[in-house]
Order: sequence, then C-alpha cells, then structure tokens
Amino acid sequence: MGILENKARARLFYKYFSNLYDTVNPFIWNEEMRDQALAWFDVDAGDRVLDVGCGTGFATEGLLQHTDEVHGLDQSDGQLSKAFAKFGKQGDVRFYRGDAERLPFQTNSVDALWSSGSIEYWPNPVDALEEFRRVTRPGGTVLVVGPDYPDSTLFQKLADAIMLFYDEAEADRMFAAAGFETFEHHIQQRKPGTPRAITTVATVPESEETEPARDPVTNP
Amino acid sequence: MKEDLLDIVCCPLDKSELELEAIRRDEGEILEGRLVCTECSEEYPIEDGIPNLLPPDMREESAA
Repeated sequence: MGILENKARARLFYKYFSNLYDTVNPFIWNEEMRDQALAWFDVDAGDRVLDVGCGTGFATEGLLQHTDEVHGLDQSDGQLSKAFAKFGKQGDVRFYRGDAERLPFQTNSVDALWSSGSIEYWPNPVDALEEFRRVTRPGGTVLVVGPDYPDSTLFQKLADAIMLFYDEAEADRMFAAAGFETFEHHIQQRKPGTPRAITTVATVPESEETEPARDPVTNP
Repeated sequence: MKEDLLDIVCCPLDKSELELEAIRRDEGEILEGRLVCTECSEEYPIEDGIPNLLPPDMREESAA
C-alpha cells in the first residue's frame, strides 16, 4: 500500500484530484463498461442502493436508470460538490459524507451496494468490504470496480506509489477475508492496450454470524 | 436530509442509533442540525442539508 495510507494525505489528494477526475476517469472506466457492470449488478426498481465513493456521480447517474432510491456516500467534499451540481443537494439522490471503512449505515439497511473507482484509495480494503457485507441485506449484491494490476511500467509505478491495484487472486483473497462466499470477477477493458478494470460481483451470504461492532478507532 | 433517513443511518464508530437535533428545517428537509450518537454521544453535523458522518478523526477540515 502506498502514500494514501495516511488519510489526511488521501483527503488532500482527492481535493486536487477531483478537479480532473471526470477527465481521467473515462480512460479506465467509460459509460459502456459502467452499463455492462450495471447489467451484472441487476437491481430491481425500488431497491435501495448505496453508492460508496460516489465521487462526482458518474456511476450514480447509471444507477438512477435502474432504481429511484440511490444514496451516495463520499469522504471528499470536492468530489461531492460535482455530484451536487448534477443532482442537487436535496434531490432524488441522498448524499452523505462518510468513510467506506466505517460506514454510517445500519446492518442490512440496503438492498444492494455499488462502489466503483474507490477501492484503490482505501487504506484497508478488507475493512471496507466487511462493512459492505454488513450494511447490505443477506442475498443482496455488492459490486466493486477497481483497477486491475497494469501491464505497463508507467502505470505499475503509479500503482505501486499511490494506489492499490489488484489481480483476480488478490481480489479472491480480499473478498474471502471480508466474509464473502459467492463472488465472481470480470475483467473489463475499453480496448486492448488500455488499463483494465476488475469488477467483482458478490452476493451477501445468508448466514447470520455474530456481528462484532466494527473496531472503533483508537483514541488519537 | 430527510428525517426518515434516521432509520438507516447510524454512528460510524459504534453503529448505534443517532438522534436528530434540528436547527433549521425547510419543507421536510433538515438543512442544519446535528446527529448525536445515543451511545457514545459523538455529534455529527448536518451542513447545508448534507449529513457529515465522517468519523471525527477524518472531519477536521470541514469546519473551514
């Protein structure tokens, strides 16, 4: 893991990154790939969906084509302000500021959870995935899009320096460690030679295990 | 935020229920106020209608 392990740094990074995010983002993840992932996500109209790391609202727009109840969470004000411009602050999408690894949502409170282009910034992805399993009802779908480990040296350097990139084996490990039993990975790519996205579609297990409270942050 | 969202949100730290202290409302929306944890008493601000449920250690710059 890289420099974004420090959350204060991560926040600073997002603050500036949000200015070019929608420009950079389609490079890896475009509308066509998003719509393919939405088909795998397969939510029903009326489902309550949480979009974690909704950022500027690129995926949120797609989610709204499938259901009316979308809740967007992001840690960054800079990112969210772009989403507010698209959807309004008190419009159809309900927005929250929050941390993916310590979600402010009750257990089993949503029907499905989506997170695209966010996992690569989380210091402890397994913690976040555990939280996704907790807040999504049993049988519900959790879909996570992240960047596949790149072939090109340039991107490998970027990857190793600041972001988490992972291959299918690592995705297997993370989802299993977070308590998921059923999941599949899809590699998505705009065209050959461009960076790949790895999209994991997981089902929240029915088994109701004892839910320990997420370990509260140690006092500073 | 709308008041019925209290049914789904919780304290990010201990996952306990939150209590609403509304300061300014408009047509069913809470525009300014606080969400207070019923367990640990941590307060989460509602700023311009958006609940800031970041854990306190991630919140410092939002006061600006």
